[in-house]
Amino acid sequence: MAPYHAVLVHFPVALWTTAALVILVRALSDGALAKASDRVLVPLLALGALLGLAAYVVGLLVWPLETAAASPLARNHLLVATWSLVYWTLLLITRWMQGEAVWEGVTRWVMLVLAGLGSILLTITGTLGGHLSGNPTAVSRVLHFLGWDVYDTFYLPDWVLLLLAVAIIVLPVIGLWGRRRPA
Amino acid sequence: MKQRLLYLSLIIFIGMLGVSWLTHGTGVVKNDLARNIYIPERLTMPLQVQAAYNGRDMFFRYRWPSERPGIYHDMLKYEGGKWVRYGGGVAGPQPQGIYEDRLTMLVDDGGVPEFGKYGGYVTIGDRMRFFTDEATKEEVKAHPYLGGKKNQSEVGKYLPATRSDINDWASVVSEEELANLRRAGYFLDLWHWRAHRSNPVGKSDDQFVAEARYGDSGKGPFFTNWDKARKQPKLMFDPAKVGRTALDWDDLAQRKLGFDDLYYLREDQAVPFDANLEWKDGDTIPRRVLRAGEGSRADISVAGQARWKDGFWDVALVRRMDTGNPLEDKAMVDKRVYSVAFAVHRNATGSRWHYVSLPVTLGLGRDAELEAVRFEGEAPKWEQPWFDVTLFYPGQVSWPLLSGAKHAGAEAIKAGVPVKYRHSEHQLAHYGVEMEFSDEIQRNWLLTLIGGVLLIAGFGIGLNLLLARKGA
Repeated sequence: MAPYHAVLVHFPVALWTTAALVILVRALSDGALAKASDRVLVPLLALGALLGLAAYVVGLLVWPLETAAASPLARNHLLVATWSLVYWTLLLITRWMQGEAVWEGVTRWVMLVLAGLGSILLTITGTLGGHLSGNPTAVSRVLHFLGWDVYDTFYLPDWVLLLLAVAIIVLPVIGLWGRRRPA
Repeated sequence: MKQRLLYLSLIIFIGMLGVSWLTHGTGVVKNDLARNIYIPERLTMPLQVQAAYNGRDMFFRYRWPSERPGIYHDMLKYEGGKWVRYGGGVAGPQPQGIYEDRLTMLVDDGGVPEFGKYGGYVTIGDRMRFFTDEATKEEVKAHPYLGGKKNQSEVGKYLPATRSDINDWASVVSEEELANLRRAGYFLDLWHWRAHRSNPVGKSDDQFVAEARYGDSGKGPFFTNWDKARKQPKLMFDPAKVGRTALDWDDLAQRKLGFDDLYYLREDQAVPFDANLEWKDGDTIPRRVLRAGEGSRADISVAGQARWKDGFWDVALVRRMDTGNPLEDKAMVDKRVYSVAFAVHRNATGSRWHYVSLPVTLGLGRDAELEAVRFEGEAPKWEQPWFDVTLFYPGQVSWPLLSGAKHAGAEAIKAGVPVKYRHSEHQLAHYGVEMEFSDEIQRNWLLTLIGGVLLIAGFGIGLNLLLARKGA
């Protein structure tokens, strides 16, 4: 399944990268070109999510789960790939549900930050995939410089997992609270 | 208000990513001596090697960094009327620093085909000594062949084909099969230099790995100085020759004794232990007695002096190219290519707490990674450049694990892909450490994965709720 996974991942990578560029253009401009490109954002993100899911599922079939879960590099790839898929799906849902309102006021800068984070996730996912297939890149050295050796499994200590649990609860609560408040 | 909440959400989300980045990989990896787990501070170290031959003798020279020379080993200290052992094998560094430095080299001539591709990994079998799941002494002693006939009490290095099931250390094939394998050259020669147990008498131990790690036939460079029945040393220093009967523990503890001092017990400087002498607390007698050795086991000698100086060991060894012991030694032949792998013990550690190399090709007058230079005369001038090797801490990684379902590269091994093609020493060191905490890391990794998904989802819900209000 590894060769099919390698073929499939090209699609979400291309689609999400293009989507990130569209967000960049739209966040920086209200011109006709920017608005026109924004019209394809939802289709780009939707296709990206669909083909990303397909690549993800095929990727899961490359090795038995027991094997993948025992390899630090495969664990890392699986972790960041999962986050990438969920994260870009979040961007799709947001743009889809909120429509062009996401380009109003400060929200456009929020979108820009989110697209930047998504691009970083995507880059790391691709780098780790390259490592697994025997083609490491210099991105791993950058990550090492920034504090993560990709040969070490990315995991959090228990206390940070607890903190994470609190954040997971707090974030929707803030949303609910804000929704009930006047503008 | 909602704008502030939007910022707050973003800060919490990005803040969590930041905290995660700064704290990842912590909280799990820690020393646990009860489980035989000790992680060295440094996971890799350098080693430099040279090789030379003159048609009769084969020379190797090794140089490696070490903070201090570990030349003390296994002592018997008199304490409160008893002789207490210090410096036996323990998990991690010996607490008093009483453990010798060592240099080992495995050699193969192609008789063990996997060795040239995977090096010492092929010798690490099921339930090895000092692994967390090590076989107990009782289990090994109860084994009819290993325990009964070969007097083994622990599972040490062994080669895969000596077992009918590589996942079971006890599944030794028949003695007839073992003999056939050995005759076919299915064993690894093991040069084993020890800074205390062989170096002071100018020798290296000569061993081999087959169904277990054995010493070659003959007498080794040391024997044990312990009278089990009387619970006292068998021998002590001969005061007529060295002017004393014992060492002073404080001299050892404070590392006062150097190469030119007496820190070892030589057979020709020893006399039978006299329990009637007035022994006092702190008197110390080495638990190993050194001797020149005999036969095949004494084939390897130190060439010149092996010494530690300015933070580096410099050790040269010499052996006849053909020792005439084809069942225990790999004969070195001009124009032939061999596989070798090195290991270093330092910082008062023994057993599996060593740094190992991947396999290296050695060519005698042939192209190879390490090229042995032919010279005329008795001793090489060592004018050729050093060959640099990176050694790494291997952790608890066994051949059954590498060949099994939990190793993504098991299929590559079946296909004969050499380890160097897929892994660097740096990578293997990190994987080795992770294997020692496999279950714990897998748990936290899974929770991290799920936590990350939920964080993104939680942020997404909050964000859309806030934006929906704005857009309404």
